[in-house]
Amino acid sequence: MGKDSKLILDPLADNNPITIQVLGICSALAITAELEASIVMSISVLFVLAVGNVVISLMRNIIPSKIRIIVQLIVVATLVIIVDLVLKAFAYELSKTLSVFVGLIITNCIIMGRFEAFALGNSPWRSFLDGIGNSLGYAVILIIVGFFRELLGSGTLLGIPVLGNPIPGELSGLYAYGYENNGFMLLSPMALIVVGIIIWVQRTKNKALIED
Amino acid sequence: MEKRTDKNSYTILFAIGMVFVVGALLAYLASALKPRITENQRLEKQQNILYAMGVNNNEGTSAVFVSTEEAPELFDQYIKQQLVIENGEVKQDTTAYLIDVKKQQANAKAGKVRRLPLFVGEKDGKTFYIAPIRGKGLWDAIWGYVALDENMIVQGAYFDHKGETPGLGANIKQRFFMDDFIGEHLLNDKGAFKGIVVAKGNADPKNVNKTDNEVDAIAGATITGDGVTAMIRKDLKLYLPYFQNLKNKQ
Amino acid sequence: MEHIELFFKSIFIDNMVFATFLGMCSYLAVSKKVTTAVGLGAAVIFVLAITVPLNWLLDQYILQPGALSWLGEEYASYDLSFLSFIMFIATIATMVQLVEIIVEKFSPSLYNSLGIFLPLIAVNCAILGGSLFMQSREIATLGLATTYGVGSGIGWFLAILAIAAIREKIRYSNVPPALRGLGITFIITGLMAIGFMSFGGMLTGGDEEEKTEKTAQIETVKDNSTTKEIANNTKVID
Repeated sequence: MGKDSKLILDPLADNNPITIQVLGICSALAITAELEASIVMSISVLFVLAVGNVVISLMRNIIPSKIRIIVQLIVVATLVIIVDLVLKAFAYELSKTLSVFVGLIITNCIIMGRFEAFALGNSPWRSFLDGIGNSLGYAVILIIVGFFRELLGSGTLLGIPVLGNPIPGELSGLYAYGYENNGFMLLSPMALIVVGIIIWVQRTKNKALIED
Repeated sequence: MEKRTDKNSYTILFAIGMVFVVGALLAYLASALKPRITENQRLEKQQNILYAMGVNNNEGTSAVFVSTEEAPELFDQYIKQQLVIENGEVKQDTTAYLIDVKKQQANAKAGKVRRLPLFVGEKDGKTFYIAPIRGKGLWDAIWGYVALDENMIVQGAYFDHKGETPGLGANIKQRFFMDDFIGEHLLNDKGAFKGIVVAKGNADPKNVNKTDNEVDAIAGATITGDGVTAMIRKDLKLYLPYFQNLKNKQ
Repeated sequence: MEHIELFFKSIFIDNMVFATFLGMCSYLAVSKKVTTAVGLGAAVIFVLAITVPLNWLLDQYILQPGALSWLGEEYASYDLSFLSFIMFIATIATMVQLVEIIVEKFSPSLYNSLGIFLPLIAVNCAILGGSLFMQSREIATLGLATTYGVGSGIGWFLAILAIAAIREKIRYSNVPPALRGLGITFIITGLMAIGFMSFGGMLTGGDEEEKTEKTAQIETVKDNSTTKEIANNTKVID
């Protein structure tokens, strides 16, 4: 059991997919201007990665090695398209919220990376756990970045104002003391810098992770 | 020893098999679910049009459509006429709301006739003219419906997008942005078409001045904002002759 | 003119790495040395230059709603656009394997240094992103699609070349130990992206606006000629 729990816990910190394995960066940057979007994306990735890992793991003995990348891509694309079609038919509102993420999930290298590195060589159960672990690790970073970008950029969390009212004339909370939102936090380059700082903090706490 | 799965023949067979399985699965699903999906899209169009003319269940600061169950009934109740302007000719067409604006724009590009749908709605004794618009944002398509009065003053707007950045460009479908358009003039003071510019550094951030043809942009969503400006200018301009006529008649 | 505009736009303004943040993973992972960065960058240009036009053809003649009309009228109503992701990915993956075979054959040293990263081009989201942008931006001709593919590729090449050069130099600097490697690369990329945002100002060039104005005028003229008919028809409304 110790081995299995390691599969979940490792990617949360010491083998984090974003800060250590350098996987799934694009989406982490694109959608973290709002906490809500970060959470939705995390849940979608959790689902696709866990199911995809299991499917690939079940197929691992019959996939021809020469075309394994095509096979992997097609498996994930098919999965995502099926989910998208079913949602469009039966939960249209939900599908509209998620449609933005469809393309991002298919091209998310965290999914391909885990297929290639883990699911191709391990049993379905272990692959499932690996998928859960890695997407949780991914979620942790997304949520931290989303939290800071939304808080500092728009002064809200999940769309609810937490720092007071910024409208001129009705100032309250922090804004009454002259605080202003940093609109720059909403721009994507700031996501890169926030992730850079997270890496800095993480590696200061765990010296073993420091590169050369 | 060579593994069975390394053989060329196996690889080719596997590839062919997979193409068939995946193709058949997707084709089956797509065609089986198509009626439901088209129905959902049809209802959504009705909801959008109703939203633009102010028939909605807005709560607080969030935009809420009328429910899908009510939509067809309310649509029949509020939308008095569905028109299609074709080559300057105005016709009645009860399926006008199903016209695919994307296809019509492509037709116009190819030199063919573009059919312009226009919906005439009535609510509390006021007449609304609702026109669909469509353009490009940062990532993908953006579109919307704009409700106008006889003087081409915006009475309501609904915008939507396929894949703009959440938290930035995606906010064009938030009420704080859409409501800014209400009351804005599309024409300048001389009656010529000017459009509405989604402007950065707007001198009028609370949007008090309705005749400046400007609304405040969303921070960090410049390209999406420019897309909104462009689609309003390009698509709504086509309706100008119709409104000029309407005026001349009065 | 259109080609030059699209070309520079796709290199600088819509730069794959700095504006849309696509292809970040390989960008960060393979930018330690300039030579490998150049190799991967060249491969990306090559793959984009082939796959974008190829996918354009697929999109125009097979996938778009009504695209099958060249087969005959009865096929005109088919809409295969739900297959676009899969078709695009299949084209890309095939092309990447092709490039892999060619590079292995003609430049074993490059093949060795690129190592496992060549297959990674298939999952480089910049490549699929290129094809999807081509589709969603409704690029009009095959020639423009090629220009767009090459331009985006060069943009990506430029980005990885720049960061690799900076990373080679930064080894001589006194970076805080915990920030060395990945951390500082993230922050530098962020700063570079802020720099690239200044190109966004070029986007509002007057050219496009003028063109739309003209076509709009033509359309209004057309409409004016028939205003009489509108007048007759508007009776229904009053």
